[in-house]
Amino acid sequence: MMPRTSRLRFALVIALLVALHFYVRPRLWSPRIAPDFLMLGLMIFAIRSTPGAAAVAGLVTGFVTDALTPARFGAAMLAHTVVGYGAAWGRAVFFADNLLVNAGFIGVGVWLRDLLVLVASGAGGRELLVQLGIWSPLLALTTALAGVIVLGFFRDWLEIRLEE
Amino acid sequence: MFEPDRTYARRDTALFLLCVALSLGALFSPESWQTAIANGVRRSALAPLLALQELAEESRTSRFRIDALIAERDSAAAAAQALPLIKAENEQLRLILGLARRLPTPSVPAEVLHQALPTDGRTMLLSAGRRSGVAPFQPVVAPEGLLGLIRTAGSRTSIAMSWAHPEFRASALTEDGSVFGIVAATESSSESEPMLELRGVPYRDTVEAGTRVITSGLGGVYPRGIPIGTVVGIARESEGWERTYLVLPAAHPGRASHVLVLRVPAVWPADSAPSEDSLP
Repeated sequence: MMPRTSRLRFALVIALLVALHFYVRPRLWSPRIAPDFLMLGLMIFAIRSTPGAAAVAGLVTGFVTDALTPARFGAAMLAHTVVGYGAAWGRAVFFADNLLVNAGFIGVGVWLRDLLVLVASGAGGRELLVQLGIWSPLLALTTALAGVIVLGFFRDWLEIRLEE
Repeated sequence: MFEPDRTYARRDTALFLLCVALSLGALFSPESWQTAIANGVRRSALAPLLALQELAEESRTSRFRIDALIAERDSAAAAAQALPLIKAENEQLRLILGLARRLPTPSVPAEVLHQALPTDGRTMLLSAGRRSGVAPFQPVVAPEGLLGLIRTAGSRTSIAMSWAHPEFRASALTEDGSVFGIVAATESSSESEPMLELRGVPYRDTVEAGTRVITSGLGGVYPRGIPIGTVVGIARESEGWERTYLVLPAAHPGRASHVLVLRVPAVWPADSAPSEDSLP
């Protein structure tokens, strides 16, 4: 169980990411490649929590996303749940406490989320290939870069061990 | 020693399966439930966040699009120079033919609140809702042309189904009025970017590449004359029966930032207007 101060700090970082998503993201470049701060929040949550809690956080993130982009309601819930759960397991089993590895981890999570959303929404053919081959990697890259900045800046608050 | 870990693992797996079951339940629930839930969340918990995003979109639009807006205003001013003459001619012709005055089409401006999902563009979240007069079935247009129609309208926001949605259809004709057809998103998935198709063109009719396609006004949803796109070639043909043409869309939902919702006068009698549920 996290101490109260730690929980409060973590909640503040998540609140900051939510604010960035809705207030700063629309001002950054194209909406297709601007960092997805909600997904970043989910990945940071998954990095430091149990798989079950990460799955629930994924469900909530997906629910919010589905309410805002209801092309196929439920697709984002499923994708975020799977990615959140997988991220928490993967972090516990495979990954070192390295900033770049964490960034790659966030990028892969974003790409996998996009793959699951597109498949669940019935996208196919060349549209799927272009999305997963061009736009999703770019989105994953910008989100990972934002992740490096957030993890580097708030490493003490987030209590994530990172190699120097 | 392993008991607590096993208990945690079981609890995690149970939570994960529960979340997956809830997601699948949402995925396959009736559309009326999905709409009601999404509208409810946007109206309540997400309302302050959407207001924040609307502020950011307005700010970005005013900052980055000022040059484009000035250019558009200049073009509109130049085009408006000839307008009084055309209006007078039109009035005269209408008088001669005994036609009634053309009905005006009031519109509601709205910002497109883009989201991060790859399916953003099939549907668009707009910053105007029922309070501004937005209602289901109203056409959504960008300065370049048709984008789609309103699918559901909440009190402050609404969801538009764009032409990139697989269920979108619009009655269309070529600009010279010679060929009619139905416009829909491409089925073939052979294009890297979403494109449109002009379907149901009789085999005897030929449409040249470069021909502009506009809404026909049939069906009572879209007024006649909204640009849809430009024909780029034949997509496929059923020998001796019909041709389907590939159309390059005039407006792209992924790039639209500011749109107009046309408050087209209802063509249905009040008691026979289609309900929101009858949308695809």
